[in-house]
Amino acid sequence: MLSFFVVAPILIAVFLYLFSNQTCRLLAITAQAVLVGFACYLFYISRDQAVITVIGDYDGSLGITLVSDYIASVFVLLTALIFLIAAIYSFHEYNTKMFWFLLFIWESLLIGIFLSRDFFNIFVLLEVATVIVSILIMFDRNNRSMYDGIIYLMINIVAIQFFLFGIGYVYKFTGTLDMHLAALSFAELGPTAALLPHALIMTAVGFKCALLPLFSWLPKAHGTPGAPSPVSAILSGLQIKIGLYLFLRFQTVFEDIAVTEFFLFIGVITGIVGVILAITEKDIKLILAYSTVAQMGLIMVGLGIDGAYAYIGSLYHIVNHAVFKSALFLSAGVIIHTYHTRNIYEIQGVLRRSPIIGIATIMAVFGITGTPLFNGSISKYFMMSGAGQFVSAAMILINLGTIIVFIRFARILFGHCQGDLCAIKRDRYQEVAVLILCLFCFVGGIFGEEIVQFLFGAYVAVSPAGYLEKTGIFFASWAAGYLIVKYVIERSKLLGKVRMISLNFRGMCASLGVFFAVVLLVSSYFTN
Amino acid sequence: MNFEIVELFSIILFFISFFGLITSKKALKSIVFTLLLQTAVVMFFLSIGFGENILPPIGEYVANPDYVHRVADPLPQALMLTAIIIGVSVSAINIVMLMTIFRKHKTTDWDIIKKENMG
Repeated sequence: MLSFFVVAPILIAVFLYLFSNQTCRLLAITAQAVLVGFACYLFYISRDQAVITVIGDYDGSLGITLVSDYIASVFVLLTALIFLIAAIYSFHEYNTKMFWFLLFIWESLLIGIFLSRDFFNIFVLLEVATVIVSILIMFDRNNRSMYDGIIYLMINIVAIQFFLFGIGYVYKFTGTLDMHLAALSFAELGPTAALLPHALIMTAVGFKCALLPLFSWLPKAHGTPGAPSPVSAILSGLQIKIGLYLFLRFQTVFEDIAVTEFFLFIGVITGIVGVILAITEKDIKLILAYSTVAQMGLIMVGLGIDGAYAYIGSLYHIVNHAVFKSALFLSAGVIIHTYHTRNIYEIQGVLRRSPIIGIATIMAVFGITGTPLFNGSISKYFMMSGAGQFVSAAMILINLGTIIVFIRFARILFGHCQGDLCAIKRDRYQEVAVLILCLFCFVGGIFGEEIVQFLFGAYVAVSPAGYLEKTGIFFASWAAGYLIVKYVIERSKLLGKVRMISLNFRGMCASLGVFFAVVLLVSSYFTN
Repeated sequence: MNFEIVELFSIILFFISFFGLITSKKALKSIVFTLLLQTAVVMFFLSIGFGENILPPIGEYVANPDYVHRVADPLPQALMLTAIIIGVSVSAINIVMLMTIFRKHKTTDWDIIKKENMG
C-alpha cells in the first residue's frame, strides 16, 4: 500500500510525457490534487497505528520496510501540498513536459525518503534526488547556474560517500540495514561500536541540514538565478527538511551516543552565522537562502532541547518553515519576473504594483519573524518553553537577527512603482498559489494548539501569560531591529566585505573533513 | 590470506582520495578523486563478506549443500552493484556539466571558474 505513494508519481511522470505541453499541465495539476487526497487518506489511517509495508513480502528483517507513522505521514502530506502549490504556480511560467517530468520524479523520491526505514534505500533515493535537483537548478541554463549546479552535485557526491561508508559499518557491525533492527543491535553492542558509523552518517546528515561549516552549498543551490522559483521553494521548503528528518530518525538508531548538546551548540552558531550572512546580502533570493540556514540552526536548537514541548515545537516549526519559506520564494519569483532585477535596493513599490503578492509577502514575513497570531510565533513559543537561560537568549538573538533581515527585506514593498511596470499583466495562478500558502500561515497561528494536536497527536497548551511575555519580547526585538537597521546596518561598510567570503569546492571538502573529525572526537569524548 | 588488510586499505584509499579532493586545483581531477572515493567505499563493502576459506556466492557453491555455510554474504555485492551504477551515471552528468563549463571558461581551474562566476 505504501509503495503506491513512491511509485505513483513516477508512473504519472512517465504517463504525462506522452501528452502535449498544454494537456500536460492540466493533467499534472489534477494528478497533484489527487495525490494530496491520497496523502490525506494516509495521514488519516496512520493516526491509529503505523502503517507498515514490507516490499517483497519477506518478514521484517529481510525485506525493505516502508513505515508511515505519525511524523512520516505529516511529512508526506506536506510534500504533496507544497508540490500542488508549486504546480499551480508553474501553470503558465514553466509549461514544458521536461519540467513536469522532473517535478513528479522528485516528489516520488522525497516521499520515498520520508517513508523508508532502510539505510541503503535512503542512500539510493538521496543520490537520485541530488541528480534531479542539480538538473532543475540549471533549468534556465544561464551562466552562473552551471557553476552552482556542478558544485551542488559534486559536493553532494562527496558527502553521500560518507553516508555510504557509514552504512557499510552499520552492516558490518549489525548485519542488517533496517533502522529498527540496527537500533536494537547497537543497543546490545554498546556505544563504542556505534561511534564510527555515527560520525560518518552524521557528517552526511549535517551536510544535508546545512549546519555550520557545511552550509556553503545551500545559498548556491537555493539562491541561484537559473533555478525556477517553484524549484527554489521546494528546495528550501522540503529538500532541506530531509536532513532534519534523517537526523531525527538516526538519533533513535544511535541512542547511546550522547551528542545532543553538541548539535544544540552547532545549531546556535549556525543560526547566528546564518542571520549575519543574510543581513549582508542584497540579492533577494540569497537573503532568503541564508535565512533558511538560520532557521535550520533554530530548528536544530529546538531538537536539541530536552523536553516534549520543544520537540513538538521543532516539528511544528519544520512544517511552518516549509509553508512561509515557500511562500516567500514564490512571491520573490513573481517580483524578480516583474522587475528583472534581484537587488533589493532597486526594487520598489511591490505593494502598489501587485497588492496580492505584497500582502502575501507581509504575511509570510510575519510568519517567519514570529509575530503574534501567526504560525511562527506558536512554534517558536513551544521551542523556547523547555530552553535554559543561555539557549533561550540565543534563540531570542537569532529571532532578532531574522527580524533585522526581514526589515531590510521589507523595503521592497513600499515606495512608488514606475508606470511601465504597473502595466504588466498579472498571473492569477501564481497569486492564488501564494495566497493559499499565506492563509496557512495565518490559520496555523490562530488555531496553533488545535493544529499541533491534529498533526502530531500531542496535547499542548499555550499559557496566556507566557505567550504575552513572548509577545513583549517580540515587540522589543522589533523596535531594536528597526533601530539597528536604521543606524548601524545602512551606514556600515563592512557588509560588502563579509559578502565576499565564500568557500570554493576545495574549502567545502575540507570543511566536511573537519566536521567529521569534530563529530568523531566529541562523540568519543562524551561517550567514554 | 588476511582479508582485514582489504578493509584497512579501503579506509586508507578513502582518506587519500579525500585529501586529493581538498588539494586538487582542477575540476577534472576532483571528478577523478570522487570516482576514487566511490571505489574505496565499494572495496570496503566487499571486504565485509570476506574471510578465510570463504567462497564466492555464485555458481555451483550456492547449489551444493556442502559449501552453503562457507559462501560469503551476497548482500554487500548486490548493494555495491547498485552503488556502482548510480556512481557511473552521476559521474557522467558531472563530466557533461564540466564540459559545458570548460567551453564557457576555457579552463577547469576551480579558482578561475569561481572568480568569473562570482565577481
